[in-house]
Amino acid sequence: MTLNAKRYVVALLSVFFLAALLLVAYQESRRHRIETGRLPVITGANKGCVDCHRKDGPALVQEWEISRHAQLGVGCVDCHSAQKTDIDAWQHEGVYISALVTPKDCARCHNREYEEFSKSHHARAGEILASLDNVLAEKVAGRPDNIADAVNGCWQCHGAIVKFARDENGQIMRTGKENKPVIDPDTWPNSGMGRLNPDGSKGSCHACHSRHAFQAKLSRSPENCGKCHMGPDHPQIEIYNESKHGIAFYANRDRMALDKDGEWVLGRDYSAAPTCATCHISSYMTPQGIEVGNSHDVGERISWTLRPVISTKLNMVIYEDGFKEDYPEGRALPAVGDKVKTIEKFVENEKLINRQIEREVAKIVTWQDRRQNMKGVCLNCHNDTYVDNFYKQYDDLVTLYNDKFARPAQEFMNELLADGALKADAPFEHDLQWIFYELWHHEGRRARHGASMMGPDYTHWHGMYEVSKHFYIEFLPEVIKTAELKSPALKAKYQRKIEEFLTKDEHLWLKGLSPKEAEALRSSYKQRYNQ
Amino acid sequence: MRSPGKLVGSLKEMFPFDWELLRHAGAEPVPYHLKKWWFCLGGTVLYLFIVQVITGIALTFYYVPSAGQAYQSVAAITHEVRFGWFIRSLHKWSANFMIVAVLLHMLRVFFTGAYRHPRQLNWLIGVGLLLTTIAFGFTGYSLIFQQQSFWGATVACNLAEAIPLIGPTAAYFLRGGPVVGENTLTRFFILHVGVLPTVIFILLALHILLIRLQGVTALRFEGEEVPEGQSHFRFWPDHVTTELAIGVLLMYFLTIFALVFPAGLGEPADPAVTPAHIKPEWFFYFNFRLLKMTSLKVSVVATMVIMAGVFFWPFIEQWLSRRFKIKDVFVVAIGVIAFLLFLVLTVWESFA
Amino acid sequence: MEDLKPLNRRQWLSSLLAGAGVLLSYGLFGIQGALFLMPERTGIKKRKLFAGNIDQYEQGKVKQFYDLQGKLILVKRDQAGFKAFSSRCPHLGCSVHWEEDNNRFFCPCHNGVFNPDGKAIAGPPADAGQKLDEVAVSVDERSGVVYIEVDDVRHGGNS
Repeated sequence: MTLNAKRYVVALLSVFFLAALLLVAYQESRRHRIETGRLPVITGANKGCVDCHRKDGPALVQEWEISRHAQLGVGCVDCHSAQKTDIDAWQHEGVYISALVTPKDCARCHNREYEEFSKSHHARAGEILASLDNVLAEKVAGRPDNIADAVNGCWQCHGAIVKFARDENGQIMRTGKENKPVIDPDTWPNSGMGRLNPDGSKGSCHACHSRHAFQAKLSRSPENCGKCHMGPDHPQIEIYNESKHGIAFYANRDRMALDKDGEWVLGRDYSAAPTCATCHISSYMTPQGIEVGNSHDVGERISWTLRPVISTKLNMVIYEDGFKEDYPEGRALPAVGDKVKTIEKFVENEKLINRQIEREVAKIVTWQDRRQNMKGVCLNCHNDTYVDNFYKQYDDLVTLYNDKFARPAQEFMNELLADGALKADAPFEHDLQWIFYELWHHEGRRARHGASMMGPDYTHWHGMYEVSKHFYIEFLPEVIKTAELKSPALKAKYQRKIEEFLTKDEHLWLKGLSPKEAEALRSSYKQRYNQ
Repeated sequence: MRSPGKLVGSLKEMFPFDWELLRHAGAEPVPYHLKKWWFCLGGTVLYLFIVQVITGIALTFYYVPSAGQAYQSVAAITHEVRFGWFIRSLHKWSANFMIVAVLLHMLRVFFTGAYRHPRQLNWLIGVGLLLTTIAFGFTGYSLIFQQQSFWGATVACNLAEAIPLIGPTAAYFLRGGPVVGENTLTRFFILHVGVLPTVIFILLALHILLIRLQGVTALRFEGEEVPEGQSHFRFWPDHVTTELAIGVLLMYFLTIFALVFPAGLGEPADPAVTPAHIKPEWFFYFNFRLLKMTSLKVSVVATMVIMAGVFFWPFIEQWLSRRFKIKDVFVVAIGVIAFLLFLVLTVWESFA
Repeated sequence: MEDLKPLNRRQWLSSLLAGAGVLLSYGLFGIQGALFLMPERTGIKKRKLFAGNIDQYEQGKVKQFYDLQGKLILVKRDQAGFKAFSSRCPHLGCSVHWEEDNNRFFCPCHNGVFNPDGKAIAGPPADAGQKLDEVAVSVDERSGVVYIEVDDVRHGGNS
């Protein structure tokens, strides 16, 4: 190769080298953009835990490291430390800890949220353990020595009473070289919303704020609520997904500021769509400024209760110590300053008991007030005529369900009970009781929830259609069959009752449509489908 | 103000070096066969060594040679210092390239018989340079003080212990005690940045001096035609330009490797936890495989024997050719077999 | 052999290109190397650290927290609000502590006394007109969480 050619070779190779160095410079600039503010801070108190558990449970540590807690130096010991006298504490590697972190522990820092949450229905979710649903799980589906349906099903959403394994003297059993207290495995792990904790607190913060990353974007996402608020009896997530609110959300997830640190205000930080949290908990803009959400009492904006057989409006009585009680419309409201004997549930000796406590009334919040709070959210996107008309549509549906189906059905059930055809202590003995249960608890609630959150299909096909169908072709005939089981005389009585009942205008369709209506049906079908 | 000529004149009186000698030395004609690329391998090694010196000195600005802080300082270089990852990766890849180049250079010298009389001394110095380079690689890798560093050093010192007669003393000296610990790291550091550079400088100086004194052998290959008047070419600018081209090419490859395969960081050294798979650096794989196939004593002694064979090869060949009248093809065969053995053992271990 | 002096344009061009190429590429490498040797002048960043909740602070009492360099910070609540001080005595570096009964910070080494605002009022630090280093405190109104702002240090994890 000539010298000249060699020089060109050098020039060419230099270009390659230069290009590679430019790539190096680019790589270097990218490295710089890692924000150091996001790095975790491992304080001296937590260093021991982190170093060991980085090998024993690495993913848990890695999740904590991306959390906001870690960025501020809040670590293992800050949440898990316990007093020596705590019932669930034991000494682990020289420190007294408890694996169970309850709302009281979170309240060491988040005590405002704890105050709000502990008064809410979420905190009381575990108190349904004396309900029909629980009977279904424990007795109907379960066995005396195996209540796994309740353990894995009901309790995982509603929360269990956390218990310990005890010896014959009632002392908590301990195990291992650290003398760890033994928890009843049926009651833990459990992250149910209304978990009843050994320290007396109610609820579990991480039911919504999944540990150990405690990501805001997870808590704000509708799927989070959907873990429990779904299914045949209250398909809120399904309804949300069907509704325009849900469609708007899923299409605009990246514009929802879900990851935003600190406040998350509709009408300021995001506008694309509401999530469950938006309407039920979070902050929103009003013409007067930010309406700061009562971040953890989910009932403050609810005006109807859609749970019972017959829905009612809900007033709220707030007592001086913060205790809140829902008063269904119809129950006489006390006055501010009155002393009322309230009933509050507590866990004593690992059992749920009622305790009567006299309290002074501090504030009354009517259902109209509560509805007004909810409307404030709606008004961020919709105008007031829109919102008011929606509420009329919703109210009418609930009234329709109440008056046409729920009340009559409940009356029939009450009468059969009075007549002895049904027994109060055998709630699922007859087919009729199952049919009735599902009528109001399943399709009846689906219809009402569907209307409440703009899910037309749930309101009608999964809702009122099934309510009406089951009412007419299953419930009513079964009433007669149940009466018959008691005596032929009773059967005759109920046949007459139902016949009389069906003379009402709203049931006249059973006899047939008017000739004009029938013809309209037939001809339009023929026109369209030629059938 | 004195004229420039007078200024230069007085400088020359201050520093009476014979610049003509330098110019003459620089103008030494380079034999024709050095135009072939595989004769530039020696220069490649030298260039890579210079890269190592520069990047190595740069790294010492941030590296802390203490067992408690070594790993952290390497992590800081890799993650926090500007271009730290780049300088460190260059250093790592230049080390690997340098060892490969040394081996290739050695093969070239072997197969061209350039070690033969009167150049046996240069061969000895060359093997010394090879061993020094390996020692550089070993001590340098241990300085990172990650798990592999620590346990690799432990295993190596244990191997050293198995050397007959001097083994235990040598191991004790290397470790600075009965086990690898605080002292070991400081020793390896001073070996890596002080002792070994001094040794290699001396050996390199002698190596290059001998080449200049004895001249590069003007080789001819059978059937090769040398164009008229081109039996030699100029050192400057021709050969220098070639070396320059090679230098830039090497920088290019090193930079690409640093970008695509940047130097990483394993787990920090933990004397309490032995990792499931300890592996030395790749240039020890053949040894490691030998160790796994035989026993400690056997593999150490075998290695010593092989090293002795390599070291004294010119003399061995002289003695063999006098005794047996061996042909060139026999020498080639030995070289090929030895290299293949090295290659096979290395590759085998890499898959294990 | 070619002439040593690059007379014609072809040789002049190739020399120029080669020279420029080498200068630019090695020059850039040199710049990157120089940047490597010069640590960044980004200034000390601050980090917010959790320092308890308002409701945990009693008037006249002090809570202790550690900053990222392991130094003790004392956080105090009084009528005016929250104040935080480094526990390092400016005299010779001993640790001061808060004496609730005497409403003062006290350094046991040479009996240095500081008033509730951190100003030295007796002992060697007072003679030198010194005061305790203040640490910025902020309170989040909504949650009631108290934060102290300390110097950042590349800390945590396997960095």
